[in-house]
Amino acid sequence: MNKSWKNYDPGSFFDELITPNGKPRVAARPLVNLLQNLSHEELSNCRSAAELAIRDMGISFTIYSEGKNIDRAWPFDIIPRVIKAKEWDKVRLGLAQRSRALNCFIDDIYNKQTILADGIVPPEIVLNSSDYRPQCAGVSPRHGAWAHICGSDLVRDKNGKFYVLEDNLRVPSGVSYMLENREITKRVLPELFENYSILPLDDYPSRLHSTLASLSPQDQGRPCIVVLTPGIYNSAYFEHAFLAQSMGAELVEGNDLFVSDDDYVYMRTVDGPIRVDVVYRRIDDSFLDPEVFRKDSALGVPGIMRAWKAGNVAIANAPGSGVADDKVVYAYVPDMIRYYLKEEPKLASVKTYLCTNEKDRNYVLENLDKLVVKPANESGGYGLMVGPHASKATRAKFAKLIKENPRNYIAQPTLALSTAPTFVDHTVEPRHLDLRPFILHGKDTWVTPGGLTRVALTKGSLVVNSSQGGGSKDTWIVENNK
Amino acid sequence: MTMLSRVAERLFWMARYLERAEDTARLIHAYTHMVMDIPKGSAPDWDILVRILDAEPLFEQNHRAYNEQNVLRFLIADLDNSCSIYHAIRAARENVRTTRDVLPEEVWEHVNELYLYAQEYAEKSVGRRNRHEFLETIIARCQMINGMIVSTLPRGHAYRFIKLGKLLERADMTTRVIDVGAAALLGDERHHSTVDPLIWASLLKSLSAMGAYRREIGPQVGAAPMVDFVLRESKLPRSVKFCLNGMRQELAPLKNNKDALELLDQARRKLSRFDPEIRTREELHAFIDQFQARLITLNGTIETTWFLTDQA
Repeated sequence: MNKSWKNYDPGSFFDELITPNGKPRVAARPLVNLLQNLSHEELSNCRSAAELAIRDMGISFTIYSEGKNIDRAWPFDIIPRVIKAKEWDKVRLGLAQRSRALNCFIDDIYNKQTILADGIVPPEIVLNSSDYRPQCAGVSPRHGAWAHICGSDLVRDKNGKFYVLEDNLRVPSGVSYMLENREITKRVLPELFENYSILPLDDYPSRLHSTLASLSPQDQGRPCIVVLTPGIYNSAYFEHAFLAQSMGAELVEGNDLFVSDDDYVYMRTVDGPIRVDVVYRRIDDSFLDPEVFRKDSALGVPGIMRAWKAGNVAIANAPGSGVADDKVVYAYVPDMIRYYLKEEPKLASVKTYLCTNEKDRNYVLENLDKLVVKPANESGGYGLMVGPHASKATRAKFAKLIKENPRNYIAQPTLALSTAPTFVDHTVEPRHLDLRPFILHGKDTWVTPGGLTRVALTKGSLVVNSSQGGGSKDTWIVENNK
Repeated sequence: MTMLSRVAERLFWMARYLERAEDTARLIHAYTHMVMDIPKGSAPDWDILVRILDAEPLFEQNHRAYNEQNVLRFLIADLDNSCSIYHAIRAARENVRTTRDVLPEEVWEHVNELYLYAQEYAEKSVGRRNRHEFLETIIARCQMINGMIVSTLPRGHAYRFIKLGKLLERADMTTRVIDVGAAALLGDERHHSTVDPLIWASLLKSLSAMGAYRREIGPQVGAAPMVDFVLRESKLPRSVKFCLNGMRQELAPLKNNKDALELLDQARRKLSRFDPEIRTREELHAFIDQFQARLITLNGTIETTWFLTDQA
């Protein structure tokens, strides 16, 4: 047996593949057995093959720093993460339930606002959110669906229990990396697929296509669907192109589209203007329409909000969906589930302290060294403080920020994130990870089998974002193996 | 299925740049061999390569002497020079990067690999030692990508605009290959009857047309028959006539094609009236110059008709 596996010790954390007494978990047994018998050289060869595949497939993401765009190869760990299908089933149902409730909430907020009137959610929390868009009031998208594509971040605590850490309802990214990770694993560890029955991922693009098609304002004929990208310099451009191609949709930039006097959206083509039914937009609300939001936006389409409000085009995710993405609103999701669906939440949320609430705020300020403090409306791991890892000065800075603007901060206990064996440098060591499944919500609701596992490549780190030095792993949902 | 004007434009340019990379590699390859074959003193100078690409002003910004090293660095590895192989490949990749959604997946992978190859080897291949292998690899990889497109891309707009870009660039580059011959032999003091056929033969080789020429015309390569063959042999895939006919085929089914077709047919008429026998080399050069100007006008018309259309 390769000796780094002998020394493998996840400590008190829940490990995805190895039990506390050092044995592989049942679902991971064939995988770990195979990997244990590979020498370092063989593992290194697999990693080189993966790096080569990534380079050849041109899988990259862009980081904007110091005024330059750097195209980086996608950091990938060759050791997959394995989850039993039975276990995943519960998570899947919990995610679908959550997505239904969140969509009810958004639809309610922009229409009757009954949840506010009934005192379940304090109105000021919603109406003062920087992601609440009064311009969207009174719109009723098809199927009551607003957040059509949701990426929810899940973590597991030291007992292996799943929690939802946050819901990304604006323009969640990462799904193409989830798909490409599987392709890479198939290329570099093909022998593993003989011993496993792994739920396939490759129908995601066709699921996405049917979700988007179900939003089309026209029921006749094949709907014209486009993916709206800010362009090649966006960090997720690779994914935009990937999704457009795998759906057979047009990948458009803002100036490829225009809204004519009849309030319909058209794209400029070599055959003249063609009407567009569904816009899967991968640009933020604020850049979507310079007539309504930021006037300086060159990425958007002037008049597209007019067309959307007139019901002439569907926009996914619908403008204004971000209101449910706010980390303060997050604390109320279990109440939403009870309120709209009359069900108990199937998936746990992380205990969240709201700094607007005096009692919570005092607790947060007294326990900054134990908590993770997050800004309410940021994504990508920016502007967050991990208390136990933060310096005194950083904690003092956050105490000041919280007092100045309590609405903008929430705090959560520092979770003992689960780990999984990761091939770093020349050994296999435990690294912390999370999981981002994707939930599609149109006429029907559908959850990806697994999702994108993101792994903090730095020892002990809890920050998994790719913009902050995180990597990723292929994620397997496996049915009973022999 | 229609196509975004922006996408059509990028595909067109991707094809132009790929063709440019391949054709420049062919030209340098053939020229290097020719220089090695011809006795010192009779060999034409390296500046011809820069001249026929109309790139002297750019060259002279950074270089004083037209020596082999400078000229080849300029044509192979100079990123500021839009005629250089490395620049063309990088530009082709940028255009594919933003149009991968309409191309077979392998096309992106292979264009990306071609770019990574050029990035690593362009500068190292300026010298004679590595040049041969580099140029052959570039030509082979460009042909592989072309082959992939021909054998997997559905015959729709994507294919159409790629073919238009490729043939327009190829027609232009083929006229430039003839121009090398005209330029190399232009001055009387250099004119040398034993050198003459060598030059024309190496140019034929640069178009992969030597075998076809032998079968059609014979083993002796003379100026007039070679020029005629390369300009007007409709069966030869790199001849100007073949390129124009192919473009006509692709323009015909497009909407709003009147202006472009008219220009194309004018060019075809000019070509059919051309008489290679009675031309002096100066006249040949002038004819080629005018013909290149026609191709530039045609390019402009394609741009305004299908790419920059203001439909709002």
